[in-house]
Amino acid sequence: MLYVDNLINSFGDFRAVNGANLTVEEGEIVAVIGPNGAGKTTLFNLITGHLKPDSGRISFKGEEIGGLPPYTICRKGIARSFQLLNIFQRMTVFENVQVAVLSQHNRSMNIFRPARNMMIEETNHILESVGLLDKADEISGSLSHGDQKILEIAIALGNEPDFLILDEPTAGMSPEETNATMRLVKRLTSEQGLTLLFCEHDIDIVFSAADRIMVMQLGETIVEGTPQEVRENEQVQKAYIGGESCLK
Amino acid sequence: MFKGMIHKNTAFFLAALFVVFLFLPKIIPSYYVYFIASVLVMALLAMSLNLVVGFGGLFQFHHGVFYGVGAYAIALLVKKTPIPEWICFILSPFVAALAGLIIGLICIRLSKLYFAMIQISLGSLLWALAFRWYGFTGGDDGIHGIPMPSMISGVNNSYYFILIVFVVCIVALFMILKSPFGSTLQAARDNEQRCEAIGVFVKRHQLFAIVIASFFAGIAGVLFVVLERSVFPDLLFWTLSLEILIMCLLGGWFTFAGPIIGAAIMLSLRTFIGIQTEYWTLILAVILALLIFFLPEGVWGYFQEKLKHRKEAVTERGQ
Amino acid sequence: MDIASAFGMSEIALQLLVGLSRAMILFIISAGLSLILGVLRVPNVAHGSLYMIGAFAAYSVNQIVGGAAGFWLSLILAPLFVALVSFVAERVLFCHLYEREHLMLLLFTFALMLIFGDLVKFFWGVDYKSVTAPDMLKGSVMIFGLPFPAYNLFLLIIGPVVGFALWLFVSKTRIGKISKAASVDRMMVGALGINVSWVFCTAFVIGCFLAGLGGALIAPTMGITLGMDHTIIMEAFLIVVIGGLGNIWGALVGALIFGVTQSIGVMLLPQFAIIFPYLAVVIVLMIWPKGLLKSVW
Repeated sequence: MLYVDNLINSFGDFRAVNGANLTVEEGEIVAVIGPNGAGKTTLFNLITGHLKPDSGRISFKGEEIGGLPPYTICRKGIARSFQLLNIFQRMTVFENVQVAVLSQHNRSMNIFRPARNMMIEETNHILESVGLLDKADEISGSLSHGDQKILEIAIALGNEPDFLILDEPTAGMSPEETNATMRLVKRLTSEQGLTLLFCEHDIDIVFSAADRIMVMQLGETIVEGTPQEVRENEQVQKAYIGGESCLK
Repeated sequence: MFKGMIHKNTAFFLAALFVVFLFLPKIIPSYYVYFIASVLVMALLAMSLNLVVGFGGLFQFHHGVFYGVGAYAIALLVKKTPIPEWICFILSPFVAALAGLIIGLICIRLSKLYFAMIQISLGSLLWALAFRWYGFTGGDDGIHGIPMPSMISGVNNSYYFILIVFVVCIVALFMILKSPFGSTLQAARDNEQRCEAIGVFVKRHQLFAIVIASFFAGIAGVLFVVLERSVFPDLLFWTLSLEILIMCLLGGWFTFAGPIIGAAIMLSLRTFIGIQTEYWTLILAVILALLIFFLPEGVWGYFQEKLKHRKEAVTERGQ
Repeated sequence: MDIASAFGMSEIALQLLVGLSRAMILFIISAGLSLILGVLRVPNVAHGSLYMIGAFAAYSVNQIVGGAAGFWLSLILAPLFVALVSFVAERVLFCHLYEREHLMLLLFTFALMLIFGDLVKFFWGVDYKSVTAPDMLKGSVMIFGLPFPAYNLFLLIIGPVVGFALWLFVSKTRIGKISKAASVDRMMVGALGINVSWVFCTAFVIGCFLAGLGGALIAPTMGITLGMDHTIIMEAFLIVVIGGLGNIWGALVGALIFGVTQSIGVMLLPQFAIIFPYLAVVIVLMIWPKGLLKSVW
C-alpha cells in the first residue's frame, strides 16, 4: 500500500533522512523504531507532505505522492497524529474533530450554514469510539495531556483514513494510559480496517503490537522485517540496543 | 436559522437593544446620532478586521486600505459614472473585495511580519496613488460633496441606513464565523500545520477570509461616505489600519463583539476627550499600554472570562 | 522614453547621488531598527518617534548654542538625548515585555509612538521648526559640471562612517558579539550565564541612538514637524524587511534600493515618485520572500 524507496532529505548540510526504505501492506501494523534523531519524525513528515524529499520515491496505492502538499496527501487517505501536541487549543473537543470531518466531506469552504448542525453524528461517533464523548464540550486546551493525545488520534480519524500514521501516540503518558491507548489503537485499526504506521519509544509496545518493524539509524534503514527477524538481527542489537539482553 | 447558536436571553436583549437604537434619533440630539453612526461604521470595519486577525490569525496590518478602496469606489462611481447610485452601492464593496483578492494573492505566500510588510507596501502604494493622482482622486484634497440619494441624506436618515446595514452585516459575519468555513479558519489559526494535515488547503481559506473581510470593510467605507459625503487619502494611510487593530485589541481579539466595544471606546475618547484636550491620544496610548500589560485579552474578553468562571463556579456548586 | 536623452547623463548621475545621500539617512535609521529587531525581536514602531525627537532635540541645541558649533554639537547631543530617553523606556517598560507575541509588542510600541508624539507636541509645540546647516555645508559643489548640494555630499560621507562604526561594534566588541549571538540563539546566550537583559538594553539604546542621529542629520534638510515619524517608520520597516530582518547590511541594501528607486521615480514620473520605492518593495518580496540578505528571524 505504501512504498518508500531510498528517500533522502537534508536540512542544510545535515541529512536527517539518508536512504530510508519502507514497505507497508494493506491491513498491516508497522512500527518504525530508532534512537532519538534517527529521522523517524522526518520520515513521517516526508510521507505526509510536510517536508519535500530531496530524492527518492514515496508511492501510496501505486501513486507517486512525494512532494505533494499535505492537504492533497490527506485526501488520498493518509491521516496522522503528531509527536508534539498538535490540536486546536482554543476550540472544543467536538469542534476539533468536526473540523476534520467537515474537511473530509468538502464542507470546509461553506459559509452559509451553521457548523454546529453539521456532521454531528459522524463526529460523535468518532468521539465515542475513542471515549471522549463525555468531554465533547470542553475546550481542548484544558484537557489532560493523555486526553489531548487521544484527541489527536480522534482528529486523524475524522478524515476517514485508510492509512493512519501515529508519531509516538503514547509520548508522555503513564504506563496505564500507555496500555489503554495501545489497546484503543489496536481496536480501532481492526474495527475500521486501517493500515497503521507508528513510531514509539517503548520497545515492549512495539514488539507486542507491530506485525513488522523497520529500524532506522542516522537517517538510514538498517533493517526491516518481522519482530522476530529484527530481534535476531545483530546490527540492530549492536546499534540500537547497545548489545544484548533488552530484546528478550 | 439561529437555533442553538445564541442564548434565548441574549437574543431577546439584542432585539431590545435594536429597538432602542431605532428610537434614539427621537430622543437624543443629532450630534450624538451622528456620533453613534460613526461608531457603527468603525465597529463594522473593526469586526471585519477581527475576522482575519482574531479568528484567522493573519497579520492583516493594512486593513484600512479596503475601507478606503470601498469609500473611493463609491465616491468615484457616483461622481464620475452615470451608473445609478443604488447600483454603485452594491458595486463598491465588490471593488473592495477585488482589491482584497489581488492584495491577498500577493501577500498570502508570506507569513507573519513579512505578510504584514508586503501588505503595508501594497497599501501604501494605493495611498500614494490616491494622494498624488489629482486628476482622478482629487489628490490630498480628496473628493467632497458626494451626492447621495435623498432617502439616506441628513443625519437621521443616514443613521437609519447605517444601523440597518450594520445589523445585516454583523448577522452575516456571525453566520460566517459559525459556519464550517469559520471553524476551519479558527482551526488554522490555532494550528496551521495540523489543519493542513486534515486535508485543508489553509492558504486558500485564509485568502477567502481576506476577501470576505475586505468586502465588509468596503461596506464600512461606503457607509463612511453615506455619513460624511467625502473621501480623502487618510482613509488609506497606515495609521488608520493600526487604529482599527487597536480597537480589536481594546475589545478583545477572540470575541465576536469585542471590536464593537473597542470602536466605541476609541471614538468616545477621540470625541469627548478630544474636545477637552488636544492630548487625547496620550490618554488612549496610556490605556492601551496598561491594557497590554494587564489585560491582553481585551476588555470584552476579560469580562467573558470572568462570566465563564462565575458560571463554572455556579455549576460546580450546583453539583 | 529614453531617459538618457531626456535628462543628460550627468543629470541622471546627480539625481542618483541625491538618492544615495537620502539612502544614507534611511540606512542609519533602519540599521538601528534592524539591530533592535534582530537582538530583541521587538518590532519597534516608536523608532520613528525617536527619530523625530532627535530632530527636535537638534533644533533645541541649535537654538541654545547657535552657529556652526551648535550644528556639530547637535549631531552628538541630540542622539545622546534620544539614547537616554530610550534607556529609560527600555528599563521601565520594554524589559518586562520581551516574551510577549510580536503583535502585542508592535501595538505596545505604537502606543509609545502616540505618547512620544504628544510629548513632543507638549514640549516643542505644533509649529514647523528649522535648522540651518553651517556655512561649510551650505551651497553646492560642482559634480559632473552640475551643482550638487554640499549637505548631501556630507551625508554621503557620514553614512559609510556610521556603517563602519556599527560594523566595528558588532564584530569587534564583546557586547556586540554577544548581541549578534543573541540574535541567532537567545537561549544559548542566556545559558552561558551572560546577563541577557543588559545585552538587550545596550542593543536597544544603540539602535535608538541611531534613530536620533538620523533625526539630527535630517534636520537641516527639511521642516521639522509633528507627523514626520509616521512616514519614516513605515519606510524603515520596509527597508529592514527587504534587506533581511536583523541584518545590518540588509538595511544598507534596502536603504539603497529605497533611495535609488525614488530618484528614478523623480526622473520618470515626478508626480508619482513616492510610489516607486513601494513598488520595489513588493517586487523584492515577491521574488525573495524573506528579504535579500540572510534574516536572523
